Amino acid sequence: MTQQSGLTFTKLLTSILIGVAILAATMLVCSLVGTKTLSIEQLIHSDISAIDSEIFYRIRLPRVLLASIVGAALAISGAVLQAILKNPLADPYILGISSGAGVGAMLASVMGLQFTFLGKSPIAIFAFIGAFATVWLVWTIGSLADKRSSNGLLLTGVVINTFLSAITMFMVAIARSSTVHSTMIWLMGNIFPEDLTTITTMAILTLLAAIALMRLGPSLNLISFSAAQAKTVGINVSRVRFITFLTTAFITSIAVSLSGLIGFVGLIVPHAVRLIWGADHRRLLPITAIAGAIFMVIADTIARIIISPAQLPVGILTALIGGPFFIVLLIKNSKRQNLL
Amino acid sequence: MIDAIKVNSLDFSYGEEEILSSLEFNVREGEFLAIAGPNGAGKSSLLNLLTQVLKPNKGNITLMGKDICDYSCLDMARTIAIVRQDFSTTFGFNVYETVMMARTAFFNILGFESSLDRDIVKNALEATNISHLANRELNEISTGERQRVFIARALAQDTPIILLDEPTSFLDLRHQVEIYDLLKRMQLESSKTILTVTHDINLSGQYCDKVLLLGYRDSFYLGDIKSIFENNKIAEIFSVSGASTEINGKYVFLPQGKYRKL
Repeated sequence: MTQQSGLTFTKLLTSILIGVAILAATMLVCSLVGTKTLSIEQLIHSDISAIDSEIFYRIRLPRVLLASIVGAALAISGAVLQAILKNPLADPYILGISSGAGVGAMLASVMGLQFTFLGKSPIAIFAFIGAFATVWLVWTIGSLADKRSSNGLLLTGVVINTFLSAITMFMVAIARSSTVHSTMIWLMGNIFPEDLTTITTMAILTLLAAIALMRLGPSLNLISFSAAQAKTVGINVSRVRFITFLTTAFITSIAVSLSGLIGFVGLIVPHAVRLIWGADHRRLLPITAIAGAIFMVIADTIARIIISPAQLPVGILTALIGGPFFIVLLIKNSKRQNLL
Repeated sequence: MIDAIKVNSLDFSYGEEEILSSLEFNVREGEFLAIAGPNGAGKSSLLNLLTQVLKPNKGNITLMGKDICDYSCLDMARTIAIVRQDFSTTFGFNVYETVMMARTAFFNILGFESSLDRDIVKNALEATNISHLANRELNEISTGERQRVFIARALAQDTPIILLDEPTSFLDLRHQVEIYDLLKRMQLESSKTILTVTHDINLSGQYCDKVLLLGYRDSFYLGDIKSIFENNKIAEIFSVSGASTEINGKYVFLPQGKYRKL
């Protein structure tokens, strides 16, 4: 009997291409719908008014692009951190990114800072710095606490998250500034149409990070199995851990600084993909990135039109549709196979 | 024949607690060594020292004639494979994927296995008699089958030395014998050097060439199974009383407690 390995490079490439095609189609459809729905024919024959054209190219398309990038970054980071920490409950925010961003954003808001840097508001800049600094802190303390297992990191992350959330709450409680409310809304997660430079930079960074992470796929398979075993099979575990933490912290911090805290994507998308396509990280990582992008584009479109002309923070929506969707998938699949 | 493993005046301690002291032994290439001893005597620590997961306080270890400190992570992976006791996966992998993981360090630049890797895995699955399980999930198969999967993975790593940490615990009698038959076949047919930590001296004694009895601190004894019984070493190292007897030229030891039925 000949053995069939599940995955070959050709198969992987095919599924990535199919995924990208579905993503592109979703992005197109989602940028057509809205308060004013456009059709493809109109677009092809340039049969649209100047205002509609402005809405499509300057507002909807950038927004859809940004949503896909943020979704991909959060989802792939979640998948990688779940593997490295050997914990299915891990998400991109587990290492303190959310609370760090919260403290940073709130600090900028309470101090009433007014400046722009690279076209970004103080809130975004401070959120990025807060997020990245917190991950560094968690990494340093975590590796001091427990060198040989990932539990030290996990616990440090949880403790620092709680501690920093308390600081954010403290600032909210003592602040009289009216900007605090808008900062809270910002933190709930919103996709705003950004300029082309920001989107291109973000896209390139996320793509590079995704490629770097995907190259570690085989090592992540082993580490998610057993770190000690990975080492005896010839994998430099501490190097892989360091690269993955740095990369995921970086792209998640950028995502948070652009769109606030969009929860649940980084937790449920990797699980959903794993339930359907299995745990092989060579396939899991690219498919998760694509699925995260698709999920985010759809969620953001719904957030944009559901209570139009007002808009819902997309972070609320991802949790609202993500939760039930995931539970259905979980129950359906765990009956068939014991994956969790 | 050179020594596959040579351990020289090895000291190891966890903090204040001294685990191994002045340990000395050697295993020749192609030999089958059983390591036995009371709980906490440092058997698993010894395996971790041999695979560079732990570092000794003093002394040195030589593998295939080369000091262990001169081995890179990859060289280690080419020299020693280990079958560990613990099994816990966070995410589901099937048997084929699990065995293929042994080849990870040799994957091509795209992160995929070569046809050589596929052949090696195929042979490992056949040698351990689990080809029919290739597409089954690890947590769907029995404990005995899973143990064979991990042995197949060690085989697929294609190393001269294989270490095993209690490969037959949790197995029934028939499966215990099957595992030992498999190990012995690997020793004889593929001339692997095999070290297995075990609590079953009677069973391993029928298969291995030598036994390393590891007691607390600096007490240890290396010898063939006959000399262990003749010198009554089991009772001494394990501090347990018992009777030994000979059946068909093989020695067996029966531990006897105070309140046993007479």
